[in-house]
Amino acid sequence: MPDLEKLRALAKETISRDDIKCLIGWRPGTYGYRTSPHFVRSPEDADQLIFSPLCSSNLATYLTLAEKRPVPRGAQPDTRKVAILVKGCDSRAVVQQVAEQGIKREAVYVIGCPCEGIIDLRKLEDKYPHTLERVEARWENGKISLDLPGGRAVFPREEIVAGKCLTCRYPNPVIADVTVGEDVEVRGSAGFEDINWLEVKNAQERWAFWRDKVNSCLRCYSCRNVCPMCYCEECILEKQNPAWIQRSVNISENTAFQLARAFHLAGRCIECGECERVCPVEIPLTHLNRKLVKEVSEQFAFTPGVDPEAKPLLVGYRPNDKEDFIL
Amino acid sequence: MSEKFEPNVVAFLCNWCSYAGADLAGTSRIEYPPNLHVIRVMCSGRVNPLFIVNALQQGADGVLVSGCHPGDCHYMEGNFLARRRFALMRELLNFVGVDESRFNMSWVSASEGAKWKDVVTGVVNNLREAGAFTEFPRKKIDW
Repeated sequence: MPDLEKLRALAKETISRDDIKCLIGWRPGTYGYRTSPHFVRSPEDADQLIFSPLCSSNLATYLTLAEKRPVPRGAQPDTRKVAILVKGCDSRAVVQQVAEQGIKREAVYVIGCPCEGIIDLRKLEDKYPHTLERVEARWENGKISLDLPGGRAVFPREEIVAGKCLTCRYPNPVIADVTVGEDVEVRGSAGFEDINWLEVKNAQERWAFWRDKVNSCLRCYSCRNVCPMCYCEECILEKQNPAWIQRSVNISENTAFQLARAFHLAGRCIECGECERVCPVEIPLTHLNRKLVKEVSEQFAFTPGVDPEAKPLLVGYRPNDKEDFIL
Repeated sequence: MSEKFEPNVVAFLCNWCSYAGADLAGTSRIEYPPNLHVIRVMCSGRVNPLFIVNALQQGADGVLVSGCHPGDCHYMEGNFLARRRFALMRELLNFVGVDESRFNMSWVSASEGAKWKDVVTGVVNNLREAGAFTEFPRKKIDW
């Protein structure tokens, strides 16, 4: 658990530097358990920064979302860095974006925050629904404690953290220019127990499972918008010619959309679980991603988002890649 | 509708090997099932995995992607790239419950007319067993 005073002091020092234009962090949201992204542009802004088990959003998304305005004639382009607070999974997003040359390493200043697991708000709201007062949370010796209106509540980590945190193998930032707090113990296993139960079913049962889930998809594209790896300026979902995926909301187009979204993350997904968190109809999107993560690691022994120098998976090949499926 | 079910198969054939191989099968008067709708592409690496999803949406019961043998690609590495991509796409389709027989990939060179016949016969026979694709085709299908 990082000391908030230290974090804010570090943020103040960072934003006061001449080569930093903005610092992206978290602050308490307007009510309840919510937190929101916080863009620190002056040292005073840094007083609101927090880092707690409620800071669920992956801020790496904002690195590539920033508007790229044309530089006025005669003016120098702004080459100052963006500082960003990252958890373990967010840092992998930064690494993968650097590896894909979506951003330049020298354009970001990474402040690592080792993380013991983020609260899944759905699990929390099942226990304590409709909380309007602001709630604070912190990690305490492998447990998570919350200051709820009715008093303090302590939960074992496994009971309340998001599914992605239970399987997390990178709780400590993979890259960081500076780290706040102590490194934490890696608790996730390298196995894929979370999807094995679905894999062992037969094809009809698997389709029945996905049909029900995909049928409810609203095509709001939140999963794409929040994804730190979905940063193409032109997206097939908005292209009309060719219209890869039609706009109508039905099982055919929804399935095609979900397959396309999952496949575009093949060998790139860094398992931050943001897609599933923001899905308004609770489609288990991480299952699709995890399946591809599993295949990528088993077939090609590749882990995205750990080495900024690595060549992305699908732009390279090895002559002896597995080909037992080919006739 | 008492006749036997005949699947529609969309085949993406690479211009330099498989298309020529299929042509050879034709000029050698080798008989093979006529269920294929052949689309010639310049390389198997040209085939976007979304083509497969799109073909299934538009009424195909199965898809076959065929290219040069590894190492023989006209563009040096196109089929290697395709192989990685489709290994993953195949697993993904399988994971959402699309029958394994609906997506096939093969290496057929320009001199393998006989192999082409075997590949097509095998694919079509498997699809006859699997039946029509009912999972997520579009409502209105224009063949």
